[in-house]
Amino acid sequence: MAVATLSRLTYTYPGATQPALREVCLELEDGLTVVAGPSGGGKSTLLRVFNGLVPHFHGGRISGSASVVGRDVIATPTRHLARSVGFVFQDPELQTVYNVVDREVAFGLENIGLPQREMAERIDEALDAVGVEHLRGRTVRTLSGGERQRLALTSALAMRPRLVVLDEPTSQLDEEGAAMVLTSVLALIARGGHAVISEHRLDRLVKQAHGLVMVGGGRVESIDPKAWRRPQAPSRPPRRFALGAEAWSLRGASAGFDGSLVLDGVDLAGCAGEVVALSGPNGGGKTTLLRLLAGGLAPVAGTVERRPGRIAYLPQNPTALLHRPTVRDEVSLTLERTEEGGLPEAILDELGLASVALRNPRDLSSGERQRAALAAVLPGMPRVVLLDEPTRGMDVGARDALISLVARLRDQGAAIVLATHDVELRAALADRVVHVGQGKVVEAAPEAMRA
Amino acid sequence: MNARAVAAWSATCIFIVLSTTNPAYKAAVLAAALIALAAGVGLRRLRGVLIGVLLIAAFAVALNFVSAHLGTTVLFSIPNQVPALGGPYTLEALAFGATGGLTVAAAILAAAPFSTLLASHEVMDALPAALSRTGAAIAASLNLVPSVAASFVQVTEAQRLRGWRPRGPRSWSEIVVPVVLTSVEGSIQLAESMEARGFGSGPRTAVKPAKLQPSDWLLIGASAAALGLFAISQASGWAAPWYAYPTLTLPSMDARPLIACLLLLAPVLVWRSRR
Repeated sequence: MAVATLSRLTYTYPGATQPALREVCLELEDGLTVVAGPSGGGKSTLLRVFNGLVPHFHGGRISGSASVVGRDVIATPTRHLARSVGFVFQDPELQTVYNVVDREVAFGLENIGLPQREMAERIDEALDAVGVEHLRGRTVRTLSGGERQRLALTSALAMRPRLVVLDEPTSQLDEEGAAMVLTSVLALIARGGHAVISEHRLDRLVKQAHGLVMVGGGRVESIDPKAWRRPQAPSRPPRRFALGAEAWSLRGASAGFDGSLVLDGVDLAGCAGEVVALSGPNGGGKTTLLRLLAGGLAPVAGTVERRPGRIAYLPQNPTALLHRPTVRDEVSLTLERTEEGGLPEAILDELGLASVALRNPRDLSSGERQRAALAAVLPGMPRVVLLDEPTRGMDVGARDALISLVARLRDQGAAIVLATHDVELRAALADRVVHVGQGKVVEAAPEAMRA
Repeated sequence: MNARAVAAWSATCIFIVLSTTNPAYKAAVLAAALIALAAGVGLRRLRGVLIGVLLIAAFAVALNFVSAHLGTTVLFSIPNQVPALGGPYTLEALAFGATGGLTVAAAILAAAPFSTLLASHEVMDALPAALSRTGAAIAASLNLVPSVAASFVQVTEAQRLRGWRPRGPRSWSEIVVPVVLTSVEGSIQLAESMEARGFGSGPRTAVKPAKLQPSDWLLIGASAAALGLFAISQASGWAAPWYAYPTLTLPSMDARPLIACLLLLAPVLVWRSRR
């Protein structure tokens, strides 16, 4: 029997004119199913059908039928499906209720009214299953992103669900954190569990997957995982001009918070027309280095110098920028402020956002939001471009568009610094890779750029 | 540590500072609260709270000094023609304001263990079963508070680099709107996560029902004794009242109400383990 069966399911969000899912017919087999497809195509909406968040939490109009682990999703509220279907969300910081690990795992068990003794057994079992026994008693805010996502998976497994759904659980994690989460998911499958996971990093998962579902434009198609081919790595845009003069520098720069140093005596510089990629673990200091360069953070020691001209800065959280009614308005605002002229349409086309130009940026999917934020900071002729995890949540097509845009800015003489976990982005763009960790920066060997 | 025991201690501190006008006992409660917190949390972690308390207390002192032109010991005068500020500035008004500042500071420090010493789940565990769902929702929203502060910093930085500058109240909408929207989105995501984990599906149970340990009973006992002794002192006139006007006098003191205040140092024995 299939874990889930969707038949002619059509769903429209409240206030939307077009359905987010159209006539979906799908059968999920046992084991691991991977969901893939372009940003904004309907992956997150599909996943939310499996535990009833769509339609019970989000409202809207739904037709057709959906049965998950033998229960009618449309007739059963999410809170009652929680015993059967676990869910792990994308953002590791916005899904914890309590601030101690054991208590966090117990939250769902308390909600379904389990006796105390059974709760203790299940907490032990789930911590052991995900391999996070060592986190017991830790304060949640001290955990890394990878540890937090594994905690979310532990909390879901403690409910002993028949199906676990994970919505891009690694999109905000460094390589190590992502590997931690994916290893835990694969271990779950190896023990006979069932999971549905949406991911952009398919290579590791597809080999183990029993099903692969492609979602795009609200349509859903099942394909054989064996038929999946890894997309070609992005090519490296040729450089048109030689490097210019030094555009920015850090000399003995130290920075930190609450008396502890995140960067300690860093010496680093970059030239006009050069792309410097920062790599390293979450919390290693990449964002702090970008904020120093952007001028948002003052060094506690040393100096920071930048050549005159506009700095374009994409923060780690793109929603920090977005507040205008439409995506086009966001770009227009930057163009007006910088007085550099030009029309918003140029960059909107370049980033593939023309079709959503008149939509509210906060109504977009996470990958589209990321592109909208890039469009908001990158129009005109910035002299220094600082990008913090620019490909977060992006599909392959959007990443290719970003590579072309950054290469154009580079060729116009902008000095570019990007912090990224994306090895293919580094390989396509970086002139130098600098590893940032434990307060220090280390220039990576040239071969590491393509690793 | 049981939040109910902490609540008993906090309530006793607040009862004493609000029930007496005598600044000597208010100061004794303030000192006891400060020493207890320093023992439990450490002065370094208390820095933010202490700065806030000092500012609020200073405001209370200044407000009375500027607005109450009563008393006989005039320190200086501002002509009556000066609106709002005109009139004599007296030592009595300053002393009375200082007593108000003491009250506010002691009350805040008495309540501070709930945010500095206890985890949100410990507070929630102490709530009666009927309030457990409300408690879980409050715990969740408390966890969002740090992200709102972080969001404010991020938004301000990002908008500055897009050319935003603070030019009057309207310009702040470019900061406030994204911060509010981000917070609302965060709350919705958290609510979604709670729903997906069965929140609201029926009566809740607790993984660790709050049980009182001997150390909690010690704290409750000391608090009850302090409360009883101070109430008796009030009723029998041992804890004499004090009033700054019309002429400043020193507050009178008695050993019995002072002992009641000293009993509030009991947490020093109990809270050391939390450092």
